[in-house]
Amino acid sequence: MTSEKLIERLCSAFGPSGREEAVAGLIKKEISDICPNAVYDRMGNLIAVMRFGDTSAEKRKRVMISAHMDEVGFMINEIKSNGTLGFDTVGGINESVMAGRRVSVLGEGGLMTGIIASKAIHHKDKKEREKAVKTEKLYIDIGAADGDEAKKYVSVGDFAVFDSPFYTFGEGLVKAKALDDRMGCAAMIQTMRALKKQPPEGDLDACFCFTVREEIGLSGAKAAAYRIKPDIAIVLETTAIADIEGVDPSGRVADVGGGVVVSVMDRSTIYCRPLVDLALRLGKQKGIKAQVKRYVSGGNDAGTIHKTGEGVKTVALSVPTRYLHSPACVASMEDYHSQQRLCEEILRAVCSTEEI
Amino acid sequence: MNKNKLKEFIFSLCSVMSVSGFEKRAEKPITELTAGMFDSTLTDAVGNRIFIKKCGKQNAPRVLIDAHLDEIGMIVTEVCKGGFLRIANLGGIDVSIMQAADVIVYGEKPLRGVIASTPPHLKKDDKLPAFSELLVDTGLSEDTLKELVDVGTPVGFAPIYGELLNGRLIGKSFDDKACAACALLAIAETPGEELAADVYVMLSATEETNRLGGVAAGAFRCDPDYAMVIDVNLARVPDTKDYETVEMDKGISISLSAATDRRLSMATAELCRRKDIPFSLIAAPSSTGTNATTVNLVGLGIPTVDVGLPLACMHTYNEVISMTDAMSLARLVREFVCSKEIAAEMTREEVSLI
Repeated sequence: MTSEKLIERLCSAFGPSGREEAVAGLIKKEISDICPNAVYDRMGNLIAVMRFGDTSAEKRKRVMISAHMDEVGFMINEIKSNGTLGFDTVGGINESVMAGRRVSVLGEGGLMTGIIASKAIHHKDKKEREKAVKTEKLYIDIGAADGDEAKKYVSVGDFAVFDSPFYTFGEGLVKAKALDDRMGCAAMIQTMRALKKQPPEGDLDACFCFTVREEIGLSGAKAAAYRIKPDIAIVLETTAIADIEGVDPSGRVADVGGGVVVSVMDRSTIYCRPLVDLALRLGKQKGIKAQVKRYVSGGNDAGTIHKTGEGVKTVALSVPTRYLHSPACVASMEDYHSQQRLCEEILRAVCSTEEI
Repeated sequence: MNKNKLKEFIFSLCSVMSVSGFEKRAEKPITELTAGMFDSTLTDAVGNRIFIKKCGKQNAPRVLIDAHLDEIGMIVTEVCKGGFLRIANLGGIDVSIMQAADVIVYGEKPLRGVIASTPPHLKKDDKLPAFSELLVDTGLSEDTLKELVDVGTPVGFAPIYGELLNGRLIGKSFDDKACAACALLAIAETPGEELAADVYVMLSATEETNRLGGVAAGAFRCDPDYAMVIDVNLARVPDTKDYETVEMDKGISISLSAATDRRLSMATAELCRRKDIPFSLIAAPSSTGTNATTVNLVGLGIPTVDVGLPLACMHTYNEVISMTDAMSLARLVREFVCSKEIAAEMTREEVSLI
């Protein structure tokens, strides 16, 4: 399968925080030939351990590689008598990308299509036209004639996600919902495949964790890290950037096409400097394009992983992604490949170095 | 009429790009879609497309069925640094639905694009940008983009169609090509000998941007004895007033307005009653807000009835219509052009002023 196809399949799956089963099932099947013993933990994290070198050696490197399976989405909180659905967000979504969008609602009978709607522009006064419609004024229309009909299909507490097609466009870019963080999941799968094909030289336990519930506050990775107790963690993510016309260079964070983003600091973590240096050095040595994150913003699973137990040396490698948490996230396949390759090179390097 | 056939025809016709002012670009695909359906067809200088079906009688009256061809869209105003396009609004698009929308830039070859947005991690307030601040991300380098796209290029919403419960259809530009599809298919399927008049179906240009534009020239040319203008009408949704809207799945609407012909409007309502076609009457005091207001005043004056298809989420890429209502509309169009009573009542008397 091509990388694009793998990312398309992962992004198209339904998986808001708390309902990651479909994504996890897809991944488990995808890695079944590499790691048939992948297991779910109590939280729903999918963990696949690959052991290399002398398994009885005392000084083995234990590395946790993590990417989250969940995406931002919605939860139905009201079935109205007119048949429309009230909802709230699961994870951070701007109101400015909600109105008018198509969504998939996972009801009793499976996935169904709906539209996040409000009244038409013809019924809005001047003031109403200047501001995004508040979430509580928006509703999901599934076409139900009334509340009784809607209740046959949907219940309070059901989830929904954006329904937005994947496509490649421009010069090597992809557009999809949920690139955050299905791209990271894809990079983990392809790294596992690469290590299987050409095992690293050294005594290494590579623990690949596909985590849950990152979007609501980094919760799944906490349990996974506690169980694994790694020496080192590599978090594969996407990072929100704004490299677009009209944004001052200082606020752009990073650039699409500029390579994998290595974070020094964000709002949840100050990263392990020797690991950051190793990542940047390896990038140079191996000809992998990398850039340093230029703005203190966002956060990811690293925030909880690095504080686990006695502390974990952590690095985050992110694909710079435009319009994060919208139905139309945009990233470059070249940056994705840089992320995957750099992750692989770090794994190969850390098991043969005493430095870290 | 077969429901699935009409649905597929609606999807096909609405998929065609006909951004207001660029109706000429729709000429070829529409010719392909309507091949063999009419006796003859013609286009004019402003982008109207007229389909003609004769009833075969001598000195037959002429009836015009109008639905506008153009759709809301955008036009490129600037090719910006970094491979982005600045755009302007062609027709009233609500800026609140723009960010993260899938669009197609209709340059030399169609290019995919998405409207840029600011992620929550970097956003500071809930103010919407002005339309002129929106950018289309084409994913192309500046140099490549400059070669492929000029200022003035049309941009349209991507045609992605689907269905909700109860046979409701969702997608772009049902306003007004869904109505056009109902009219075209209804007339094409009516045997010529059943027609009470020679029928001119007009897909008129530039309704969304310039209501006095396309339709007046086309109606002048057709010179009909009477006319029906079909456009979408705002469906009742939460937070709207009942008197301004029509209920979905309850049939079509007929406007009563000082700007249209009351006799013809009442006759059309009576026809609906007789033929069991669900409808509702709505009051549109001094303007219908559609082409009907214009058509009524063309030439010597054309008695016009304004008919509406209920539509929710108007002027978005996910407009919603009901297949049940679309079927009602198609039936009404057929009954209207076959009604000998209406044709007799509307046939004009030649009056000499001297």
